[in-house]
Amino acid sequence: MNLFASDHKAVARRYLWGGLGFLLLGGLLALIIRWQWAYPGQPVPGLAWAMPESHGAMTPPAYTAVFTMHGLIMIFFAVTPLLFGALGHFVLPLSIGARGLAFPRLSVLGFWLYALGGALVLGSFAVRLGPASAGWTSYPPLSTSVFTPSLGQTLVTVAVLCAAASSFLYGLNFVVTVVRCRAPGMTWGRLTLTVWGLFFASVLNVLFVPVLAAATALLLMDRLLGTQFFIAGAAAVGGGGDPVVYQHLFWLFGHPEVYILILPAWGMVGDFVAFFSRKPAHGYRLTAGAMGVVTALSGLVYAHHLFTSGMSPVLGRTFMVLTLLISLPAEVMYLNWLMTLWRGSVRLTSPMLAALGTMVVFGLGGITGLSLGAVATDVPLHGTLWVVGHFHLTMGAASFLAVFAGLYFWFPKMFGRALHEGLAKAHVVSSAVLFLGVFGGQLAAGYAGQLRRLYDPYQYTYLKHLLPLNQWTSACAFLLGAAQVLFIVNLVWTLSRGRVVGANPWKVGTLEWTCTPSPPPAWNYDPVPVVLRGPHALSQPEVLERLGRDWMGQAESFPEESETEPGQAEGVGGMSTSGGAA
Amino acid sequence: MKALPTGTVAKALSAQVPEPTSAPHAPAPSNAGVPEPTSTPRAPAPSHTGTLSLPEDASTHGHRIDALLAWSHRFDAVLITVALGWLVLAVWRFRKAKQAASDGGTRRSRAWVLGLALGAFVVVDGTLLLGSEGYLRDVLWNFSVPSEDPRTVRIEINAHQWSWEARYAGEDGRFNTSDDVVTWNDLRVPVGVPVWVQLVSTDVVHGFSLPHFRVKLDAIPGRVNQTWFQAAREGAWEAACYQHCGTSHYRMRGVLTAMSPESYATWLREAGKQSAQAWDAEDVAAHWGWEWKAP
Ligand SMILES: [Cu+2]
Repeated sequence: MNLFASDHKAVARRYLWGGLGFLLLGGLLALIIRWQWAYPGQPVPGLAWAMPESHGAMTPPAYTAVFTMHGLIMIFFAVTPLLFGALGHFVLPLSIGARGLAFPRLSVLGFWLYALGGALVLGSFAVRLGPASAGWTSYPPLSTSVFTPSLGQTLVTVAVLCAAASSFLYGLNFVVTVVRCRAPGMTWGRLTLTVWGLFFASVLNVLFVPVLAAATALLLMDRLLGTQFFIAGAAAVGGGGDPVVYQHLFWLFGHPEVYILILPAWGMVGDFVAFFSRKPAHGYRLTAGAMGVVTALSGLVYAHHLFTSGMSPVLGRTFMVLTLLISLPAEVMYLNWLMTLWRGSVRLTSPMLAALGTMVVFGLGGITGLSLGAVATDVPLHGTLWVVGHFHLTMGAASFLAVFAGLYFWFPKMFGRALHEGLAKAHVVSSAVLFLGVFGGQLAAGYAGQLRRLYDPYQYTYLKHLLPLNQWTSACAFLLGAAQVLFIVNLVWTLSRGRVVGANPWKVGTLEWTCTPSPPPAWNYDPVPVVLRGPHALSQPEVLERLGRDWMGQAESFPEESETEPGQAEGVGGMSTSGGAA
Repeated sequence: MKALPTGTVAKALSAQVPEPTSAPHAPAPSNAGVPEPTSTPRAPAPSHTGTLSLPEDASTHGHRIDALLAWSHRFDAVLITVALGWLVLAVWRFRKAKQAASDGGTRRSRAWVLGLALGAFVVVDGTLLLGSEGYLRDVLWNFSVPSEDPRTVRIEINAHQWSWEARYAGEDGRFNTSDDVVTWNDLRVPVGVPVWVQLVSTDVVHGFSLPHFRVKLDAIPGRVNQTWFQAAREGAWEAACYQHCGTSHYRMRGVLTAMSPESYATWLREAGKQSAQAWDAEDVAAHWGWEWKAP
């Protein structure tokens, strides 16, 4: 295997292994946090080798490093790389009928920047005083060298810069690829919803990741070069430093990042409910448009993270209105998914079960976020596990389930072998149910007032009674961790002796399934297909009648119409409603 | 409980006594020796009303937030029932159906989607927005209440890694004078009177919260933030830090005691006298108070 190969499918596989590895690490760190909340200060099973002096028990400094690294690893090194690095790199060019990404060498550079960041993260665990510990948000002054002097904090800050550079590069690459490299006939109205999600999220990457990079770079200068961009009181000695400026910059990136992590998931859900209801997506244009509106609004809502920072009432009111506004397009999209299921012929394959699971956890996560968007109701919940449960349901559980929906769906195309359906179904269903247990438990604990990031919540008298609830939640979390064995076994078994499948095992019409074998050759398509219709041409009466099947390829023409011009093909009866084929 | 492996952990666990804990470097609280007002419990009782409920509300205005939250939960329940019920029903009813519709919706069905979404949005988000706005206008951002009430108690709070240092102006009503009362992790307020807090931090970002009073405000170096609340009844409740502020963030705990106005006045007078005796004009670091900021 050539580690510098620039074929987008090879890059995708490298991101896949990297992302899954970090997902495992980030997940284990989460289980340590859950252990600490269930059995505070008691030795973590299997951790004595790492912390011999405490026999494996969490100490307060170790605990701060664990929750900090859990967040950073999951966001920058696991979920984003899996959604964009693995699924995005693999699917996006294939789905639009391109022979590759617009800038193949840039995608190699992006991967190696990610790998360098990942190496720094792993290395930071080995240095004295441990890895970063100032929270994934790295608020100064806590994250400056005065309060967190460890080398690990510096290494991880550099690692975040690497991950940011990598995200920016693939974001740019994806945007240019979608704009410039679509196959003939692949109009904007014929893109899969997955590509729409990836495209919008890539636009956000290009716009907002540089903001994170700037804030992180300034923070690094405060740590290493003695600047005082974010050191308060710097004004008194002639500078203009202010820690709040960092918070604004960070969340100007941080909130769009939430949508970066969920937009590709939304896209996949939109496609999969159509594919496996054997029916065109309901309101394709409305759904794509709603995702666009969310994208446009996502940069204008960030300051709800700062409702308790003492911001001016004018800002507070403005961001409250904008934040609540974003729920409208999300509701339109969600209702379209439900309408797609209705009057379909629902097939509960593993990608479909994962997509439905995504809908359930995302629905609950979205709804529990409403009370955080209004200032008054945010006050009692701000900084509690309610917030943690809410955003883990959306950008944790929903993104996770969508990653696995995509992986189960495209795995046959990536490797030519299909994962075992039974194991896959058991994996996604048990994961979805246990996610509800874990994050439902966190919502309840947060509502009762439990604050985030407490080494020992039971220091507080008013939280003592939550110990049984937290133990129950932790039990769900440990089971959730155990359920992942179903995937690992499936993966290892499938790669060596899984069922070899043909070009189109799911019987859908998109280009990657109908115009190229599994796995596709280096140049994807030979010749490049000429696209005739939208991505969801399912259960069309003409097709059923003339071809005897309920799907038709996006570039497929009826036998006697092999020379039809794309413009004429749109006239084929009933087709114009199949995913906005105009 | 079996012997714990490290000093830190053991200390962490043994520190669960519900008395206000002073930071190791903190001077002895200046109210030392003041007779405890007998009517006030000094340790907060575990005052929860149940696992699935907010912390007990001990403030005069918190019920408005709680009512709004209750409404939002009713909406949440309806929305989740509709969404999941629809999902389950659709899957159950159309599983492997012989025929699937061939269209991506009609003009009518898409109008329904838009209408339903808009309706839910107007009702749910509208309620939250108007309810929230009412609370902001009347309470949270309405500093005319504490500034116009002659009985208002003003407190300057200085957040440290890892304790809350509180300053009362004393009988002269001015901060940074000899009769200032300074306490550590020990807030005292009279019942039924607006309490106006101005908040700073000397080191990192902290979060000052009184969960039982629906109070939350960041303490940020370089700025003075302010909020106000009013205790509805006598008792003792906890103050907690909600922003990660370093290793011992979880131990940044204080106790707020709401007293009868008479015992509060007695306490402040006695503590102020003691402070005046211990006043050291040379000790600049001790005079961290500031001129009260107008709203
Ligand atoms: Cu603190």
